[in-house]
Amino acid sequence: MVERIRRTVRVWAALARAGLRTELQYRANFAFGILGGLALQGAGLAVIGTILARFQQIGGWSLPELMLLYGMRLTSHGLWTLPCSNLMVIDTAVREAEFDRYLTRPVAPFVQLVTRRLPVTTISDLLGGLAILGVALATTHLHWTLPRVLLLGLALVGGALVELSGQTAIAGLAFRMLSTGSLKFTLDDVFNTFGNYPTKIFGPAARWALTVVLPLAFASYVPATVLLGRTGELWIPVWLAWAAPAVGVALFVAAYRFWRSQLNRYASSGH
Amino acid sequence: MRRYLALARMQARVVLAYRIDYLNGLIGLLLQVFLLAVVWRTVYGERDSVDGVPLATMLAYVTLASVQGWLFNPWVFTLIPDRVREGRVGIDLVRPVGFVSQVVAAQVGRTAATAPFALAALPFAVLLSGMAPPASPLAAVGYLVSLALGYAVTTVLSVVFGLMTFWTMEIGGIFIIYRMVAQFLSGALIPLWFMPGALRTVAQVLPFQAVTYTPTAIYLGRLDAGAAVLATGVQCGWVLVLALLARLVWSRALHRVVVQGG
Repeated sequence: MVERIRRTVRVWAALARAGLRTELQYRANFAFGILGGLALQGAGLAVIGTILARFQQIGGWSLPELMLLYGMRLTSHGLWTLPCSNLMVIDTAVREAEFDRYLTRPVAPFVQLVTRRLPVTTISDLLGGLAILGVALATTHLHWTLPRVLLLGLALVGGALVELSGQTAIAGLAFRMLSTGSLKFTLDDVFNTFGNYPTKIFGPAARWALTVVLPLAFASYVPATVLLGRTGELWIPVWLAWAAPAVGVALFVAAYRFWRSQLNRYASSGH
Repeated sequence: MRRYLALARMQARVVLAYRIDYLNGLIGLLLQVFLLAVVWRTVYGERDSVDGVPLATMLAYVTLASVQGWLFNPWVFTLIPDRVREGRVGIDLVRPVGFVSQVVAAQVGRTAATAPFALAALPFAVLLSGMAPPASPLAAVGYLVSLALGYAVTTVLSVVFGLMTFWTMEIGGIFIIYRMVAQFLSGALIPLWFMPGALRTVAQVLPFQAVTYTPTAIYLGRLDAGAAVLATGVQCGWVLVLALLARLVWSRALHRVVVQGG
């Protein structure tokens, strides 16, 4: 098991280097690709900042608090898109029978799929997220204890897993549906729109939907309330809020199993 | 004229061939409308009105500005980069119609085919956010005039920006930056009246606000008759200035044409 993980990491690192070399062939394009990514994610923060300039708070959350949420969400987003965003191109891989190859090689098909090419420019999400998170941490004056520091670190990974598990589950449908683009982009849209705001402002129905049906609340909002001492506004018990990263792990395990089970439905395309 | 209509029809067919993509775009649009409506309701809280802007007006602004912004500032806002990158610009140049006119005709065709999607989204946006009738019959007329001018501004802007491809070839990131700046400063997300002083000044001196903010503000009566006439005058001015700029840029771009894989 350990050997397998080490090999996977080695494969991934080699691909990352190759991807970076490809991108650096066109330096200007690479630099603008990263700036473009930052603009895309920065626009959402610009909206929040502009509204806050006139209204001081959204649902009781101040600018530094909203920045903490935004930074956590974007960092988590970057943590899944950098290694795994190839999951989004599964439709092509299935339709063009790329999976034939994946099934014959001695590496897990999932790993082969996500490492088929490394989109290095997605590092802008991670860079932007960490920068915003840094500013937020410097301006919120939180009381940091070891459990809280651990929670922040684990929540960043947990948040990435929540989003990744949604995309993995959809990718599982690709073996039968062949076309899952709309589902993927809608899920991405939902995370990029609602994930950056305190879930409680969306009203009771949407609040529960985002906790139970599509557990986006666990990605960043729930752990952020713990860090900010805002668990009073939650509609779930506080212990569950602390366990938010575990929710991410559980969701990913379930989603990966689903994906694996759907792999049996793969019917190669006729050559 | 017949030639232009043919070009427009061709592009409209492209949109309709990929109609599923546009339906997906509509989901994104409605999510944005819902989000903005929730955020404005939340920040208004118990108040009916902030700075003289009633909540109902604000929610109608969200509906109108979002749907218009989606139609006027699409994700692929110019067709020029693809033509240049794939070398098809070579074919475009030998056609008996000017290149810029072809691009404009194609753009109009695309918008005409996308408009029904925007109209289909409108009732849902109204449900999610809100709507108000035009402030007065005169405001309704002013809105239609201003809307047409706003479309002219966004079209010429995209031509000017798209022509940059002749120098840059492929710098996709620049286009994303342009699109985000254009969307934000057009007032599609936040009306100029709620922008802080310095940002509002920047937005006012740039052409983007003439695309979405001006028509919407006229419709809602946020600009009185005098201000509305002035604002449409500014729109006309931008169309003129940008058209001249497009002409200038095009005359230089023509000397930079590289047809790849010819």
